[in-house]
Parts: sequence; C-alpha cells; structure tokens
Amino acid sequence: MINLEPLTNEQPRVDLANLSDADTAFAIENLDLYYGDKKALSDVSMRIPKGQVTAFIGPSGCGKSTLLRSLNRMNDLIDNCRIEGNILLEQQNIFDRHVDVATLRRKVGMVFQRPNPFPKSIYENVVYGLRLQGVKDRRRLDQAVEESLRGAALWDEVKDRLHDNALGLSGGQQQRLVIARAIAIEPEVLLLDEPTSALDPISTLVIEELITELKQKFTVVIVTHNMQQAARVSDNTAFMYMGELIEYNDTNTLFTTPSKKQTEDYITGRYG
Amino acid sequence: MDNLNLRRHISGQFNSELDNIRNRVLMMGGLVEKQLTDAIEAISTLNQSLAEQVINNDRKVNSYEVLIDEECTRIIAKRQPAAGDLRLIFAISKTVADLERIGDSAKQLANVALEKNASKQGHLLVSLENLGRHCIALLHDVLDCFARMDLDCAFEVHGKDVLIDAQYESLMRELMTYMMEDPRAIPSVMEVMWAARSLERVGDRVQNIAEYVIYFIKGKDIRHLDTEQIAELRD
Repeated sequence: MINLEPLTNEQPRVDLANLSDADTAFAIENLDLYYGDKKALSDVSMRIPKGQVTAFIGPSGCGKSTLLRSLNRMNDLIDNCRIEGNILLEQQNIFDRHVDVATLRRKVGMVFQRPNPFPKSIYENVVYGLRLQGVKDRRRLDQAVEESLRGAALWDEVKDRLHDNALGLSGGQQQRLVIARAIAIEPEVLLLDEPTSALDPISTLVIEELITELKQKFTVVIVTHNMQQAARVSDNTAFMYMGELIEYNDTNTLFTTPSKKQTEDYITGRYG
Repeated sequence: MDNLNLRRHISGQFNSELDNIRNRVLMMGGLVEKQLTDAIEAISTLNQSLAEQVINNDRKVNSYEVLIDEECTRIIAKRQPAAGDLRLIFAISKTVADLERIGDSAKQLANVALEKNASKQGHLLVSLENLGRHCIALLHDVLDCFARMDLDCAFEVHGKDVLIDAQYESLMRELMTYMMEDPRAIPSVMEVMWAARSLERVGDRVQNIAEYVIYFIKGKDIRHLDTEQIAELRD
C-alpha cells in the first residue's frame, strides 16, 4: 500500500491516552461524584485536549451533564453533592482550597440548554462580564462587543440594533448572544450544555458551524443528546453510561469502529 | 460545479469534505487513465520497462480506492448526508470501485506486454491498439462527465459502449481466423484475446460510471434498463 496524504483538513489525531500536560486543557483523575447516597460518576479518568472540541454523549442520567458541570464547579451549588478525585486545569486542581471559584469560572465559561440572555440590551449583555471585572473604557467595551459578536457569528444580524432589548432576538440568535457573552471575557474553555436542544434545525447548524470556528481560539466541551451532532462537531467523543466512562476516542474512530459493544449499541440506536 | 451546489451547505466543513473527496476521485481517474494509456503504449511498442511501471503503479490506484472509501464511510457516519449528498457519496463509492477494476485491466494488459509470445504478434497488436485507444477516449469522456456532472455527456458516453462491443466482436472474429489458419499461433493469439477481453470490460465499467453520474444527477437508477426506457428517461 502506498501512503497518500490524508483527505481531511482536520487536525492530526491526538493520542488521548498519552496526552502531554502542555496539550491538556483538563485532566480528570479518578473522579467519583455522589448526590447524597447515589453515585452519579464513578471513577472517571480522561484528558481533554486543548484547542479541540470534545463531546460527551450517552443516555439520560448517564452523568454527562454532571461531569460537564464539575469542570467549572457548578455542582458546588448542590447541597448534598460530594466529589472525590481530581480535576486539573493546567495542572492546577480546581478543587484546591486556594482556587477562587469566580476566577475559575472566568477561565471556564458555560452556555446552557435554553438561551438565558439578561433582560438588557444586546450591548449590555455582551459587556456584562467585562463590567463586572471593572472595565469602564468605552472604546475597549465597543471593541469587545464587535469582536465577540463576530466571534459568535451574530454581528451582521444585530450591528444596527445593539441597544435593542436582547429578548427581542430569535431563540437561535439569543443562544449565539449568550455564546458572545461567554467569549467576551476571553475564557480558556467553553462548556456547552446541550446548546442547541431548544433550537430549530437551521439555527442548530449555524451554532454547529460556530463551534468549529470557536475551537481556533478556545477549548470546547459539549454535552449533547443528539449523537449526530457530536459526530458532526467534535474531534473527540466520550460515551458515558450509568456514571461510567465507557469509551473515549477520536470521533471518527468512535463513530465508525467503536471498540466497545455498548458504544456500538448506543450509536446505532439499539438502546439508551 | 454549479449543478453540484457543493458550496451551499451551512456547514463549511462539510462543503470542504465533499470538495476534497470529489477532487480525489478525479485524481484517481486521471491516474487510471494514464495507467491505461501507458499499458496500451507498452503493448504496441513492447516496452518492458513501461509495462513494469504500470504494474507497480497499480498499488497506487488500489490505495486511492481504499482511501476514498474510508472517507465515504466517515462522511456517512459524521454528516448523515441526505438526498443529493447521499447520492453523491454512493456514486463516488461505486465509481472508485469501477475505476480500480479498470486499473486492474491496465495491469493485466501490461502483463501481456511482458509475455514473450506477444512479440510474435505484431500485426495483431495493431487492432488491439485501436480498441485500446477507443477505451481510453471513452474513459476520458466519462471522467469529464463526472467532473462537470453533465447529464447529456453521461447519456452520450453510456450509449457509446456498443461501439466498443462491436469492435471487440470484429477483433474476436479476426483472431479466430488466425487460429484456424495456423494452430501453432494459438498460444500467442490467446494472449491478445485476453487483452482484448479486458479492454471490452473497461468499456462496460466506463458505462457503469456514466450510470452513477446519471443516478447522482437525476436520482434515477438506469442499470439493467433497455435502450428505449433509457431514451425515455433522457427526455
């Protein structure tokens, strides 16, 4: 066989099992998570590579959202939640006592299932995080608004009505606005929790296209119920079931030749 | 290019994947065309080193087939193509299978050129060369149809296979006469016969590719239809 150069313009495949620290955004080590007595995550270990899109898929209740929420400590808000194991963000344990949660969340932005813009103008929505950080310079704010809205592929649609109320936008536009708000503070990682499940198919495709753009600048971790979406947007996919990480591999391999029977059954629609 | 609408997906990534895979098919087609041309050249000039080169290059054709098929699988798994996109992927996957077989025919022809007996049959090789040139022209045309996704062109190529068949028939009759005249010539005439047979198969495969192009554009499967039914579809 003669080697021809690869067909796709995707990045070269990374070796997820032996990812170097420099290439790792998150290193999750033996993570166990309990809600009261119920074990929601059991012994999850994985490395999420920098500058790529990683998707978590699995049936309802498999722990994928819980795992995603652990990455910026959203589970802290839940009373009886207990976590064992480590999550390292750039070799720093995010559960360490010295870690300030607000700082962590500035580095790790999050977008939820339903678009949740503030009942303010489009402009104010985008600069909200910057104002919290005390930025007052008008020029800097204007610049951030344009850059973030362009980054979220929304600029052309709203540039003439930046001071209109954000709630007047369509669902798909609102979701892109929320993404713009998240990237305005220049996080390192973006967590997307089913970002398109409340959107129509076309808005969904626009957001998916946006996600592939976003990975040029950020590491993206996405939870999705829609496994075709995971196949389309992600570089790596983790399949979870009953709180365990069953299979974690690059997306092409996982969707064409999964190594575990359970994964195959799930992605071919045989259970879940 | 226009009738393909390749650039009109919302997903730019998908656009470029389809673009890439199509380009690869055309590159493979170009290589196969060159292989066939070289094989005919090697036979008519009894050029041994050229024949060996054709035999070596066949591995490259094979790699193209594997690579393009892998990419088709990947696109189906990742993009769930529908309608025209789905037909395109199917047409591509089937086209590369036929191109690979044409590549095999070229290799077989090159093997004939290496046979010692072949040199004794100079006068027969001329008719073979003619048949070969026809096949190359037809292959060239069908690749052209594929590149432009041109329906008329595809129908035209599809209809031309009968000419190859007719030429093959007459060559067969000629070869049989030689065998009857001089039974000692049978082994070397047989060599030419095998070569002619693979060229005739090339014509069939070119016809198949034209069918896939028509399938992609019209969404109609015209395999195994008779001439009248095909003519009806064309209008």
